[in-house]
Amino acid sequence: MMKTLLSICVALLLPLQAVAADAYVPKVYGKKGYVWDEMTPERVEVLRLGGDPVKGKEAFRGCRGCHKADAAGVREGVYPRLSGQHTSVLIKQITEIRAGIRLNPKMLPFVEDPAIALEEIGDIAVYLNQVESLRENGKGPEDMSAKGKKLYFANKCDTCHGKNGEGDAAKAFPVLAAQHYGYLMREMKLIETGARGNSHPEMVKAIAKFGQSDREAVADYLSRLPDYRTLAAKPAAK
Amino acid sequence: MKHNYKRIAGCLSLCGALAGLLLLPAMARAEAVPLEERLQLCAGCHNPDGNSIIPENPKLAGLDAKYLARQLKDFKSGDRTNEIMATIIPMVDESEFKALAQYFSEQKRSDGVTEKPDLAAQGKQIFDEGIIGSAVPACSGCHNEDGSGTNKYPRLNGQNPVYVKNQLMNFKNGIRTNDAKSVMRAVAKRMNDAEIEAVAEYIVTLKEAQ
Repeated sequence: MMKTLLSICVALLLPLQAVAADAYVPKVYGKKGYVWDEMTPERVEVLRLGGDPVKGKEAFRGCRGCHKADAAGVREGVYPRLSGQHTSVLIKQITEIRAGIRLNPKMLPFVEDPAIALEEIGDIAVYLNQVESLRENGKGPEDMSAKGKKLYFANKCDTCHGKNGEGDAAKAFPVLAAQHYGYLMREMKLIETGARGNSHPEMVKAIAKFGQSDREAVADYLSRLPDYRTLAAKPAAK
Repeated sequence: MKHNYKRIAGCLSLCGALAGLLLLPAMARAEAVPLEERLQLCAGCHNPDGNSIIPENPKLAGLDAKYLARQLKDFKSGDRTNEIMATIIPMVDESEFKALAQYFSEQKRSDGVTEKPDLAAQGKQIFDEGIIGSAVPACSGCHNEDGSGTNKYPRLNGQNPVYVKNQLMNFKNGIRTNDAKSVMRAVAKRMNDAEIEAVAEYIVTLKEAQ
Protein backbone atom coordinates (compact mmCIF):
# COMPACT_ATOMS: atom_id res chain seq x y z
CA MET A 1 0.00 0.00 0.00
CA MET A 2 2.68 2.46 1.07
CA LYS A 3 4.79 1.44 -1.91
CA THR A 4 1.95 2.09 -4.30
CA LEU A 5 1.28 5.48 -2.74
CA LEU A 6 4.94 6.33 -2.89
CA SER A 7 5.26 5.42 -6.55
CA ILE A 8 2.18 7.49 -7.36
CA CYS A 9 3.75 10.44 -5.52
CA VAL A 10 7.04 9.99 -7.33
CA ALA A 11 5.32 9.70 -10.68
CA LEU A 12 3.41 12.90 -9.99
CA LEU A 13 6.55 14.73 -9.02
CA LEU A 14 8.76 13.54 -11.84
CA PRO A 15 8.01 16.39 -14.26
CA LEU A 16 8.72 18.93 -11.50
CA GLN A 17 11.96 17.24 -10.63
CA ALA A 18 13.12 17.46 -14.22
CA VAL A 19 12.48 21.20 -14.24
CA ALA A 20 14.18 21.90 -10.90
CA ALA A 21 17.18 19.68 -11.73
CA ASP A 22 18.29 22.08 -14.47
CA ALA A 23 19.40 24.62 -11.89
CA TYR A 24 21.57 22.18 -9.99
CA VAL A 25 25.14 20.96 -10.36
CA PRO A 26 25.83 17.30 -11.28
CA LYS A 27 25.47 14.81 -8.47
CA VAL A 28 28.49 13.69 -6.50
CA TYR A 29 28.61 10.60 -4.37
CA GLY A 30 29.43 11.08 -0.70
CA LYS A 31 29.82 8.89 2.34
CA LYS A 32 27.38 6.09 3.16
CA GLY A 33 25.48 6.39 -0.10
CA TYR A 34 24.44 10.01 0.40
CA VAL A 35 24.14 11.69 -2.96
CA TRP A 36 25.10 15.33 -2.60
CA ASP A 37 22.24 17.65 -3.28
CA GLU A 38 19.95 14.92 -4.59
CA MET A 39 16.42 16.29 -4.66
CA THR A 40 13.91 14.68 -2.37
CA PRO A 41 10.29 14.92 -3.60
CA GLU A 42 9.54 17.22 -0.69
CA ARG A 43 12.35 19.60 -1.57
CA VAL A 44 11.17 19.75 -5.17
CA GLU A 45 7.71 20.68 -3.94
CA VAL A 46 9.01 23.29 -1.47
CA LEU A 47 11.11 24.94 -4.20
CA ARG A 48 8.12 24.94 -6.51
CA LEU A 49 5.88 26.64 -3.91
CA GLY A 50 8.31 29.44 -3.05
CA GLY A 51 7.88 31.37 0.18
CA ASP A 52 6.19 34.28 1.88
CA PRO A 53 8.27 36.00 4.59
CA VAL A 54 5.19 37.31 6.43
CA LYS A 55 3.79 33.81 6.82
CA GLY A 56 7.31 32.61 7.55
CA LYS A 57 7.68 34.93 10.51
CA GLU A 58 4.62 33.40 12.15
CA ALA A 59 5.59 29.82 11.28
CA PHE A 60 9.07 30.46 12.72
CA ARG A 61 7.40 31.02 16.11
CA GLY A 62 7.66 27.28 16.68
CA CYS A 63 11.45 27.52 16.22
CA ARG A 64 12.06 30.56 18.41
CA GLY A 65 12.29 28.57 21.64
CA CYS A 66 15.76 27.45 20.52
CA HIS A 67 16.81 29.74 17.65
CA LYS A 68 15.43 32.87 19.38
CA ALA A 69 13.11 35.56 18.11
CA ASP A 70 15.85 37.24 16.01
CA ALA A 71 17.13 33.86 14.69
CA ALA A 72 20.49 34.55 16.34
CA GLY A 73 20.60 31.13 18.01
CA VAL A 74 22.70 31.05 21.17
CA ARG A 75 26.22 32.41 21.57
CA GLU A 76 27.61 29.07 22.80
CA GLY A 77 26.63 27.70 19.40
CA VAL A 78 24.38 24.90 20.60
CA TYR A 79 21.79 26.41 18.26
CA PRO A 80 23.11 28.06 15.10
CA ARG A 81 22.50 31.57 13.84
CA LEU A 82 20.04 31.28 10.95
CA SER A 83 19.57 34.92 9.96
CA GLY A 84 20.87 35.71 6.49
CA GLN A 85 21.41 32.06 5.57
CA HIS A 86 20.58 31.34 1.93
CA THR A 87 17.01 30.27 1.30
CA SER A 88 18.28 27.33 -0.77
CA VAL A 89 20.51 26.15 2.08
CA LEU A 90 17.73 26.41 4.66
CA ILE A 91 15.34 24.46 2.43
CA LYS A 92 17.97 21.79 1.77
CA GLN A 93 18.77 21.39 5.46
CA ILE A 94 15.17 21.45 6.71
CA THR A 95 13.92 18.95 4.14
CA GLU A 96 16.93 16.68 4.65
CA ILE A 97 16.47 16.72 8.43
CA ARG A 98 12.79 15.86 7.90
CA ALA A 99 13.79 13.04 5.55
CA GLY A 100 16.29 11.68 8.08
CA ILE A 101 19.21 12.34 5.75
CA ARG A 102 20.78 14.93 8.04
CA LEU A 103 20.67 13.46 11.49
CA ASN A 104 19.27 15.84 14.08
CA PRO A 105 17.13 14.01 16.64
CA LYS A 106 16.93 17.04 18.96
CA MET A 107 15.37 19.22 16.29
CA LEU A 108 13.28 16.59 14.53
CA PRO A 109 10.08 16.72 16.67
CA PHE A 110 9.87 20.48 16.11
CA VAL A 111 10.48 20.46 12.37
CA GLU A 112 8.84 17.26 11.18
CA ASP A 113 5.29 17.08 9.93
CA PRO A 114 2.91 18.15 11.49
CA ALA A 115 4.97 20.54 13.69
CA ILE A 116 5.93 22.34 10.50
CA ALA A 117 3.78 21.83 7.41
CA LEU A 118 5.41 21.37 4.00
CA GLU A 119 3.90 24.68 2.86
CA GLU A 120 5.62 26.50 5.74
CA ILE A 121 9.18 25.41 4.92
CA GLY A 122 9.67 27.86 2.06
CA ASP A 123 7.99 30.63 4.07
CA ILE A 124 10.38 30.12 6.98
CA ALA A 125 13.42 29.92 4.67
CA VAL A 126 12.57 33.18 2.90
CA TYR A 127 11.89 34.92 6.21
CA LEU A 128 15.18 33.77 7.75
CA ASN A 129 17.14 34.90 4.72
CA GLN A 130 15.87 38.44 5.34
CA VAL A 131 15.72 38.68 9.12
CA GLU A 132 18.34 40.63 11.03
CA SER A 133 19.89 39.28 14.22
CA LEU A 134 20.12 41.83 16.99
CA ARG A 135 22.67 40.02 19.12
CA GLU A 136 26.33 39.35 18.48
CA ASN A 137 27.42 35.85 17.57
CA GLY A 138 29.81 33.75 19.68
CA LYS A 139 33.51 34.15 18.83
CA GLY A 140 36.49 31.92 19.62
CA PRO A 141 38.20 32.23 23.02
CA GLU A 142 41.08 34.21 21.49
CA ASP A 143 41.54 36.05 18.21
CA MET A 144 43.14 33.58 15.80
CA SER A 145 41.66 35.17 12.72
CA ALA A 146 45.01 35.92 11.01
CA LYS A 147 45.99 32.24 11.11
CA GLY A 148 42.44 31.21 10.28
CA LYS A 149 42.30 33.48 7.25
CA LYS A 150 45.54 32.06 5.89
CA LEU A 151 44.27 28.50 6.27
CA TYR A 152 40.89 29.37 4.77
CA PHE A 153 42.42 30.65 1.53
CA ALA A 154 45.38 28.22 1.40
CA ASN A 155 42.93 25.32 1.50
CA LYS A 156 40.62 26.98 -1.05
CA CYS A 157 37.63 27.05 1.30
CA ASP A 158 36.65 30.24 -0.54
CA THR A 159 36.00 28.24 -3.72
CA CYS A 160 32.69 27.10 -2.24
CA HIS A 161 32.13 29.28 0.82
CA GLY A 162 33.16 32.58 -0.79
CA LYS A 163 35.78 35.25 -0.16
CA ASN A 164 33.66 36.74 2.62
CA GLY A 165 32.24 33.47 3.94
CA GLU A 166 29.05 34.23 2.02
CA GLY A 167 28.56 30.72 0.58
CA ASP A 168 26.78 30.16 -2.71
CA ALA A 169 23.01 30.30 -2.89
CA ALA A 170 22.78 28.63 -6.32
CA LYS A 171 24.74 25.60 -5.15
CA ALA A 172 23.24 25.46 -1.64
CA PHE A 173 26.65 26.07 -0.03
CA PRO A 174 26.03 27.73 3.35
CA VAL A 175 26.97 31.16 4.62
CA LEU A 176 29.61 30.72 7.32
CA ALA A 177 30.43 34.36 8.10
CA ALA A 178 29.29 35.48 11.57
CA GLN A 179 28.25 31.97 12.55
CA HIS A 180 28.86 30.95 16.18
CA TYR A 181 32.33 29.59 16.84
CA GLY A 182 30.92 26.72 18.92
CA TYR A 183 28.53 25.66 16.17
CA LEU A 184 31.25 25.69 13.50
CA MET A 185 33.51 23.55 15.72
CA ARG A 186 30.73 21.05 16.38
CA GLU A 187 29.67 20.72 12.76
CA MET A 188 33.26 20.23 11.56
CA LYS A 189 33.46 17.25 13.90
CA LEU A 190 30.11 15.89 12.67
CA ILE A 191 31.17 16.34 9.04
CA GLU A 192 34.46 14.53 9.67
CA THR A 193 32.82 11.50 11.31
CA GLY A 194 29.91 11.43 8.87
CA ALA A 195 27.44 11.94 11.73
CA ARG A 196 25.99 15.00 10.04
CA GLY A 197 24.76 12.72 7.29
CA ASN A 198 24.47 15.11 4.36
CA SER A 199 27.90 16.66 3.83
CA HIS A 200 29.48 17.36 0.48
CA PRO A 201 32.14 14.68 -0.17
CA GLU A 202 34.72 17.38 -0.95
CA MET A 203 33.98 18.95 2.43
CA VAL A 204 34.52 15.61 4.18
CA LYS A 205 37.89 15.26 2.43
CA ALA A 206 38.88 18.86 3.16
CA ILE A 207 38.08 18.71 6.86
CA ALA A 208 40.14 15.54 7.36
CA LYS A 209 43.28 17.61 6.67
CA PHE A 210 42.52 20.01 9.51
CA GLY A 211 43.93 19.34 12.98
CA GLN A 212 42.28 20.69 16.13
CA SER A 213 44.21 23.98 16.27
CA ASP A 214 43.62 24.59 12.55
CA ARG A 215 39.89 24.12 13.04
CA GLU A 216 39.89 26.48 15.99
CA ALA A 217 41.66 29.12 13.89
CA VAL A 218 39.33 28.81 10.89
CA ALA A 219 36.20 28.73 13.06
CA ASP A 220 37.44 31.80 14.92
CA TYR A 221 38.18 33.62 11.65
CA LEU A 222 34.72 32.86 10.26
CA SER A 223 32.99 33.83 13.50
CA ARG A 224 34.67 37.25 13.36
CA LEU A 225 33.66 37.97 9.74
CA PRO A 226 30.81 40.48 9.41
CA ASP A 227 27.36 39.46 8.18
CA TYR A 228 27.91 39.31 4.39
CA ARG A 229 24.70 41.28 3.80
CA THR A 230 26.23 44.34 5.45
CA LEU A 231 29.03 44.27 2.84
CA ALA A 232 26.60 44.28 -0.07
CA ALA A 233 24.58 47.08 1.50
CA LYS A 234 27.58 49.42 1.92
CA PRO A 235 27.05 52.64 -0.02
CA ALA A 236 29.55 53.29 -2.81
CA ALA A 237 32.43 55.60 -1.85
CA LYS A 238 32.01 59.15 -3.05
CA MET B 1 -1.17 -2.46 35.99
CA LYS B 2 -2.81 -3.46 39.27
CA HIS B 3 -1.93 -0.07 40.68
CA ASN B 4 -3.47 1.61 37.65
CA TYR B 5 -6.75 -0.22 38.01
CA LYS B 6 -6.86 0.86 41.63
CA ARG B 7 -6.30 4.45 40.63
CA ILE B 8 -8.89 4.31 37.91
CA ALA B 9 -11.37 2.69 40.25
CA GLY B 10 -10.66 5.39 42.84
CA CYS B 11 -11.12 8.13 40.29
CA LEU B 12 -14.30 6.62 38.98
CA SER B 13 -15.90 6.44 42.40
CA LEU B 14 -14.86 10.02 43.08
CA CYS B 15 -16.30 11.04 39.74
CA GLY B 16 -19.45 9.17 40.46
CA ALA B 17 -19.90 11.02 43.72
CA LEU B 18 -19.13 14.38 42.13
CA ALA B 19 -21.33 13.72 39.16
CA GLY B 20 -24.15 12.71 41.46
CA LEU B 21 -23.80 15.94 43.38
CA LEU B 22 -23.55 18.15 40.36
CA LEU B 23 -25.96 16.53 38.03
CA LEU B 24 -28.94 15.65 40.13
CA PRO B 25 -31.33 17.80 38.13
CA ALA B 26 -29.76 17.15 34.76
CA MET B 27 -30.05 14.23 32.43
CA ALA B 28 -26.76 12.89 31.08
CA ARG B 29 -27.83 13.62 27.54
CA ALA B 30 -26.87 16.48 25.30
CA GLU B 31 -29.56 19.02 24.78
CA ALA B 32 -28.76 22.54 23.66
CA VAL B 33 -29.75 25.22 26.17
CA PRO B 34 -29.28 29.02 26.08
CA LEU B 35 -25.77 30.28 26.87
CA GLU B 36 -26.74 31.90 30.20
CA GLU B 37 -28.18 28.64 31.45
CA ARG B 38 -25.22 26.59 30.23
CA LEU B 39 -22.73 28.93 31.87
CA GLN B 40 -24.13 27.99 35.26
CA LEU B 41 -22.89 24.46 34.67
CA CYS B 42 -19.36 25.66 33.75
CA ALA B 43 -19.25 28.22 36.58
CA GLY B 44 -19.37 25.56 39.26
CA CYS B 45 -15.81 24.54 38.51
CA HIS B 46 -14.42 27.41 36.40
CA ASN B 47 -16.09 30.43 38.10
CA PRO B 48 -18.63 32.65 36.35
CA ASP B 49 -15.87 34.76 34.77
CA GLY B 50 -13.75 31.74 33.84
CA ASN B 51 -11.07 32.48 36.41
CA SER B 52 -11.20 29.23 38.32
CA ILE B 53 -10.10 29.43 41.94
CA ILE B 54 -9.87 25.65 42.28
CA PRO B 55 -6.15 24.88 41.80
CA GLU B 56 -6.72 21.74 39.72
CA ASN B 57 -9.05 23.50 37.29
CA PRO B 58 -7.85 25.76 34.51
CA LYS B 59 -8.67 29.41 34.14
CA LEU B 60 -10.55 29.66 30.84
CA ALA B 61 -10.74 33.45 30.78
CA GLY B 62 -8.86 35.03 27.91
CA LEU B 63 -8.05 31.76 26.13
CA ASP B 64 -8.38 31.87 22.35
CA ALA B 65 -11.92 30.98 21.25
CA LYS B 66 -10.75 28.47 18.65
CA TYR B 67 -8.49 26.79 21.19
CA LEU B 68 -11.35 26.51 23.69
CA ALA B 69 -13.78 25.18 21.11
CA ARG B 70 -11.24 22.57 20.06
CA GLN B 71 -10.74 21.44 23.66
CA LEU B 72 -14.49 21.00 24.08
CA LYS B 73 -14.65 19.04 20.85
CA ASP B 74 -11.74 16.87 21.97
CA PHE B 75 -13.35 16.18 25.36
CA LYS B 76 -16.50 15.19 23.50
CA SER B 77 -14.68 12.85 21.12
CA GLY B 78 -12.37 11.46 23.80
CA ASP B 79 -9.23 12.88 22.18
CA ARG B 80 -8.66 14.73 25.46
CA THR B 81 -9.55 12.91 28.64
CA ASN B 82 -10.37 14.16 32.12
CA GLU B 83 -12.49 12.32 34.69
CA ILE B 84 -14.63 15.32 35.60
CA MET B 85 -15.06 16.71 32.10
CA ALA B 86 -16.03 13.23 30.98
CA THR B 87 -19.12 13.45 33.20
CA ILE B 88 -19.99 17.00 32.12
CA ILE B 89 -19.40 17.03 28.40
CA PRO B 90 -22.08 14.46 27.47
CA MET B 91 -24.67 17.01 28.65
CA VAL B 92 -23.40 19.79 26.40
CA ASP B 93 -24.44 19.78 22.78
CA GLU B 94 -21.78 20.41 20.15
CA SER B 95 -23.80 23.34 18.78
CA GLU B 96 -23.11 25.21 22.05
CA PHE B 97 -19.30 25.00 21.86
CA LYS B 98 -18.72 28.07 19.74
CA ALA B 99 -20.72 30.46 21.94
CA LEU B 100 -19.21 29.03 25.14
CA ALA B 101 -15.70 29.39 23.75
CA GLN B 102 -16.46 32.93 22.61
CA TYR B 103 -17.81 33.89 26.05
CA PHE B 104 -14.76 32.66 27.95
CA SER B 105 -12.33 34.08 25.41
CA GLU B 106 -13.80 37.54 26.08
CA GLN B 107 -13.36 37.38 29.86
CA LYS B 108 -10.34 39.07 31.43
CA ARG B 109 -7.71 36.69 32.76
CA SER B 110 -7.05 37.33 36.46
CA ASP B 111 -3.52 37.67 37.84
CA GLY B 112 -2.14 34.91 40.03
CA VAL B 113 0.40 34.70 42.83
CA THR B 114 3.02 32.13 43.65
CA GLU B 115 3.58 30.75 47.11
CA LYS B 116 7.04 29.55 46.07
CA PRO B 117 8.94 32.58 44.71
CA ASP B 118 12.33 30.79 44.73
CA LEU B 119 10.96 28.00 42.59
CA ALA B 120 9.28 30.56 40.31
CA ALA B 121 12.66 32.24 39.77
CA GLN B 122 14.09 28.92 38.55
CA GLY B 123 11.06 28.55 36.34
CA LYS B 124 11.66 31.96 34.78
CA GLN B 125 15.06 30.81 33.53
CA ILE B 126 13.46 27.80 31.80
CA PHE B 127 10.52 29.81 30.47
CA ASP B 128 12.75 32.52 28.97
CA GLU B 129 15.83 30.56 27.91
CA GLY B 130 14.90 26.87 27.84
CA ILE B 131 17.28 24.19 29.09
CA ILE B 132 20.19 23.93 26.71
CA GLY B 133 21.68 20.70 28.10
CA SER B 134 18.51 18.70 27.53
CA ALA B 135 17.34 20.62 24.43
CA VAL B 136 14.20 22.01 26.04
CA PRO B 137 13.06 25.02 23.99
CA ALA B 138 12.16 28.23 25.81
CA CYS B 139 8.39 28.42 26.47
CA SER B 140 8.51 32.10 25.51
CA GLY B 141 9.41 31.16 21.92
CA CYS B 142 5.84 30.11 21.15
CA HIS B 143 3.78 31.43 24.08
CA ASN B 144 5.46 34.88 24.20
CA GLU B 145 7.58 36.27 27.03
CA ASP B 146 4.50 37.40 28.94
CA GLY B 147 2.69 34.10 28.33
CA SER B 148 -0.07 35.82 26.38
CA GLY B 149 0.06 33.20 23.61
CA THR B 150 -1.48 33.45 20.14
CA ASN B 151 -4.36 31.85 18.28
CA LYS B 152 -2.16 28.76 17.88
CA TYR B 153 -0.44 28.63 21.27
CA PRO B 154 -2.65 29.01 24.34
CA ARG B 155 -2.47 31.82 26.87
CA LEU B 156 -0.54 30.82 29.99
CA ASN B 157 -0.23 33.95 32.12
CA GLY B 158 -1.76 33.63 35.58
CA GLN B 159 -2.80 30.01 35.01
CA ASN B 160 -3.23 27.85 38.11
CA PRO B 161 0.11 26.12 38.79
CA VAL B 162 -1.37 22.78 39.82
CA TYR B 163 -3.26 22.65 36.52
CA VAL B 164 -0.17 23.59 34.48
CA LYS B 165 1.92 21.00 36.30
CA ASN B 166 -0.71 18.31 35.72
CA GLN B 167 -0.97 19.13 32.01
CA LEU B 168 2.80 19.05 31.52
CA MET B 169 2.95 15.72 33.36
CA ASN B 170 0.12 14.44 31.18
CA PHE B 171 1.97 15.51 28.02
CA LYS B 172 5.16 13.94 29.36
CA ASN B 173 3.46 10.65 30.17
CA GLY B 174 1.43 10.52 26.97
CA ILE B 175 -1.90 10.89 28.77
CA ARG B 176 -2.73 14.15 27.02
CA THR B 177 -2.23 13.72 23.29
CA ASN B 178 -4.35 16.45 21.72
CA ASP B 179 -1.49 18.89 21.13
CA ALA B 180 -2.13 19.32 17.43
CA LYS B 181 1.50 19.24 16.44
CA SER B 182 2.69 16.82 19.18
CA VAL B 183 5.20 19.51 20.10
CA MET B 184 4.18 19.78 23.76
CA ARG B 185 4.71 16.06 24.21
CA ALA B 186 8.21 16.39 22.76
CA VAL B 187 8.99 19.32 25.08
CA ALA B 188 7.54 17.82 28.27
CA LYS B 189 9.34 14.49 27.73
CA ARG B 190 12.63 16.36 27.99
CA MET B 191 11.74 17.94 31.35
CA ASN B 192 12.05 16.38 34.78
CA ASP B 193 9.40 16.74 37.48
CA ALA B 194 11.27 19.51 39.32
CA GLU B 195 11.65 21.55 36.12
CA ILE B 196 7.96 21.14 35.35
CA GLU B 197 7.00 22.32 38.81
CA ALA B 198 9.30 25.34 38.56
CA VAL B 199 7.89 26.44 35.21
CA ALA B 200 4.33 26.10 36.50
CA GLU B 201 5.21 28.28 39.51
CA TYR B 202 6.61 30.97 37.20
CA ILE B 203 3.66 30.91 34.81
CA VAL B 204 1.20 31.86 37.56
CA THR B 205 3.19 35.06 38.19
CA LEU B 206 3.09 36.19 34.56
CA LYS B 207 1.02 39.25 33.70
CA GLU B 208 0.14 40.25 30.18
CA ALA B 209 2.36 43.07 28.94
CA GLN B 210 0.40 46.28 28.37
